Amino acid sequence: MQLWRFGVLLALVAARAHAIEPGSVAPEFNLARLGAGQPIALSDLRGKIVLIDFWASWCGPCRESMPLYDKLRAEFAPNGFEVVAINLDEVQTDAEAFLARHPVSYPVGLDPTGDTAKTFGLVGMPSSYLVDQVGIVRARHTGFKAKHIDELRHQILGLLGAAHGL
Amino acid sequence: MGCKTLTALLAGLTLAGCTTTPVQPWERGRLARWDMQWDSDPLQTAMDEHIYFSKEGSTGRVGTAGGGCGCN
Repeated sequence: MQLWRFGVLLALVAARAHAIEPGSVAPEFNLARLGAGQPIALSDLRGKIVLIDFWASWCGPCRESMPLYDKLRAEFAPNGFEVVAINLDEVQTDAEAFLARHPVSYPVGLDPTGDTAKTFGLVGMPSSYLVDQVGIVRARHTGFKAKHIDELRHQILGLLGAAHGL
Repeated sequence: MGCKTLTALLAGLTLAGCTTTPVQPWERGRLARWDMQWDSDPLQTAMDEHIYFSKEGSTGRVGTAGGGCGCN
């Protein structure tokens, strides 16, 4: 009698994307780049430490986080660190207006349908994933606090040290 | 399946509505717009409230229980 309820519940649970946790392989994505240039693919960045930042123009903490990520990138880019921002705005002009006020020097990919966000299984906005040189997720931050920058710096130094056999 | 059971089943599935497809964290852009907030213009709201309770002679129409004591 109650079997159909169980069936619906099971379908809902099964339909959820498996959330990407530290230790998982970062899913591949291939997104159009905002502005001129080739599409951005995660596999192109293999060998570098990558910080994937899911953001949107309506995300308040992103006004603080993105300039800080830009500084972090400037600090570690010579060592093989890149930041890839994935924009989740449904309207591209909103993203462009945000970037006009808070410009960044790292590539911005466009995901207006949210497919990449769904693949990663975001639980909040903004979300950032630190991916190591072989494509394994090492850290995930949901939301943004200034202390995340210190944690990321610590983790990046750790990954760079490990790469050099320290 | 009986007619009543079928109706109940369909009603249960359709009335569940937004609970079966919740808004994802990255889909909240439209909800974040200023005109989608409960109180999109606090200053205007405060002015409207002042006019309302002055005309009505009642205090605390919103949020608290009030009476017409005329002390506003």
